[in-house]
Amino acid sequence: MRAIDLGMASCHTCHEVVRLPKVKGEGSILCPRCGEEVHLRKPNSIQYTWALVIASIILYIPANVLPMMEVETFAGTQADTIISGVLYFLETGSYLIASVIFIASIIVPITKLIILIYLLITVQKKSPLRQKQRKKLYVLTEIIGKWSMVDVYVVAIMIALVHFGGMTEIKAGDGATYFLLVVIVTMIAAMQFDPKLIWDTEIQEKRKTDAGNA
Amino acid sequence: MAEKILCCHECDELVRVPQTRKEGRLKCPRCGTTLLRQKKGMVEIMYALSIAASILFLLTNYFPFLSFHVVGNTSHANFMTSIVYLFGEGDWLIGLAVLMTTVVVPMIRIGLMLSLFGPIYHGIIPPYTVFALKVLSHSLPWAMLDVFLVGVFVSMVKLVKMGTIIPGLSLWAFMVMVFVMAAMQVVFDPQPLWEKVDERRSEKGLV
Repeated sequence: MRAIDLGMASCHTCHEVVRLPKVKGEGSILCPRCGEEVHLRKPNSIQYTWALVIASIILYIPANVLPMMEVETFAGTQADTIISGVLYFLETGSYLIASVIFIASIIVPITKLIILIYLLITVQKKSPLRQKQRKKLYVLTEIIGKWSMVDVYVVAIMIALVHFGGMTEIKAGDGATYFLLVVIVTMIAAMQFDPKLIWDTEIQEKRKTDAGNA
Repeated sequence: MAEKILCCHECDELVRVPQTRKEGRLKCPRCGTTLLRQKKGMVEIMYALSIAASILFLLTNYFPFLSFHVVGNTSHANFMTSIVYLFGEGDWLIGLAVLMTTVVVPMIRIGLMLSLFGPIYHGIIPPYTVFALKVLSHSLPWAMLDVFLVGVFVSMVKLVKMGTIIPGLSLWAFMVMVFVMAAMQVVFDPQPLWEKVDERRSEKGLV
């Protein structure tokens, strides 16, 4: 039995089970234990998640095109984007570092966006298939999200350590700012998605109306 | 005692808690999410770990993190001066993100854990328990010390080619802190604390 069928919901913050007032649509109440707002489902979850997913896809383009880091030496300025950084490490034989950057900056954000889009589409179709696997995918997006920050941290550490007057300076490129925004926006997108929607299938809805008629 | 019902926070299934159960995990029968952990000694372990984490946090932020030598030039970096430098360079968004995720949020989390489990260990449920648990729940995704550690390793490999890197005391403290914080996250179970809040509410006759 789903909690929603009884007009009940658990508080997102303290997990207290609360009975919600009987209103059509999306009623909410303040949790008697912790005072946070409790909803049957996160309000406008699908729309907000879509909006944030699209925003992060758009931000991901300048994040890859613009340089992450600019190294200024007496020999000139060298700018590195995410991809050229990975390729540089591959060429110099640092395969471990190349794969860490590749996974954190390319695989993780793209996987996360693909999973969120897949979840959004299946939820909108009220698909009853592979719910357990989809729930696991959602938990995965929550776990891997923050690991994309690695490259931003690397840029920050390099800037903080390498400043020797006119000799060598490292500066952050605009790509780093856009990439940072991608990480933050995708994290908020994953938080906006309500995993309970995965379980709101047509069969469940039908069972609910049947119970109401009986 | 009334029968307890939980609602799975992932799939919305209502789950009855067997009255006979004492401890151990309770999983959602539909989706497999862990609903209750109820590990013995949680408060004691959390108290110990939060003391350790706060000492390590102070060490991390006081001592130099990394020093970097390139022919005749040396630069030292510790956490706060590096972040201040980022702000000075005009990279304030990156500086702010680093400041929040590696200093401010972890500091708040460690502080709250300590001020929560200290009194509870001594049998007092502090009046700010609800506030502290709420902040701990919302701030969890934004504490990224473990990610920062990977970032440190990557930049060390990058810098090794340019000059000599000397790890400072702060780096060692930081590495231990990452593991202590990870252990805290594994052990931390807010549910028994929420139940203590319930008990206090019913004592006051609010329910």
